[in-house]
Amino acid sequence: MNDNQLLWAYVAREEDYPEDATIIKEGSWGDWAYVLLEGRAKVTKKTRDGTLTLGTLEAGAVFGEVGFFEVNGGTRSASVIASNGPVRVGVLDSHLLRKDYEALSLELKELLKALVVRLKKSTERLCFFNQTSN
Amino acid sequence: MANKKKIPPIKTLRYKKGDLIFKEGDYGISMYKIVMGKVHIFKESGDREVSLAILGPGEIIGEMTFLSGPNVPRSASAKALEDSNLEVWHFSRLRKEYEEMPPILKVMATQTLERLIRTNNILVNLDVKRSKTENPENTDLRASQRRFYRKKVDLECIYRSTKSRPNACLKGRIKDISLNGMGLEVSAKNGCHSFYKPGEAFVINTVLPNGRNLEVTATVKSVGENGTPGRLSMGMCFTDTPVWVKERLGFFMMS
Repeated sequence: MNDNQLLWAYVAREEDYPEDATIIKEGSWGDWAYVLLEGRAKVTKKTRDGTLTLGTLEAGAVFGEVGFFEVNGGTRSASVIASNGPVRVGVLDSHLLRKDYEALSLELKELLKALVVRLKKSTERLCFFNQTSN
Repeated sequence: MANKKKIPPIKTLRYKKGDLIFKEGDYGISMYKIVMGKVHIFKESGDREVSLAILGPGEIIGEMTFLSGPNVPRSASAKALEDSNLEVWHFSRLRKEYEEMPPILKVMATQTLERLIRTNNILVNLDVKRSKTENPENTDLRASQRRFYRKKVDLECIYRSTKSRPNACLKGRIKDISLNGMGLEVSAKNGCHSFYKPGEAFVINTVLPNGRNLEVTATVKSVGENGTPGRLSMGMCFTDTPVWVKERLGFFMMS
């Protein structure tokens, strides 16, 4: 089974977004993750000096992991916006995903969470540096 | 079960403040969970240390090497910022479970790792670019660093001229602060105007928002009206800053 088939097995619901529509809004509450099925989306974060684009997601990308691992108090740490045309995303089955996660050993759970925390911290530093260098 | 006996037990190691825990480029066989203390994660770029994170109790370091696989060296260095106790997790303890974990979680871990590596590389490039463009000749390192890392604050402080008696303190407000200096706003009525000119030095005391006291000596570099009647703004550079003050400021700047 390749990665795409594997992700499909976890898709609970599909959602369509037109170009420029917000899929995830920074600061909103949400503890589920998504997979990008079709199209492209950009990840943005607000800084004191404006909005910074952190990267672009393509089909197969899983996003919303900061919300899923609840490392930001259950709120979204960045926005995800449909770009370059319409986008189709799959909402991953949180119940199934969380069951898989909870079955792991404590160490492995901590490890996965640590990775997401590190990404969040590095992203925050990037935003901080970006605004101080402007 | 026989296999399990070969797995090393969890050990706790103690590191003194300033000790290097692991170095970028080394090959590792363990990751660590911080039990006590604080650890600085940084990448080296030329002679510069680019800070990536400061981590504390409950957090894990060295996990990127585990996830990247056995042939990939450490992507960053880790140093104890204070006396620290770390629980050692040998990769072998978790390797099998990681390999057998539900593939979707592995996909998430791999993608998160890729994003983290990318973000850290951008941080290093941004730091290098900034050091080249903002400080091409390395002439006034203090002043240029002050521009890079200035943080906006609004802190009450007391200050006195180094020429005054120790108890001749006046009140002012710190409007921004960096590792090398600060913007100090004072009332123009505060004592003698001859204090407020470039070259004069002040001892400044404040409490940072994280509750830590700070005492610094700083020299006036510029003085100007800041638009508020009766208030003066001074750009100041720290002089003879002790290491503990730099560390305390460093913590605050990164928080």
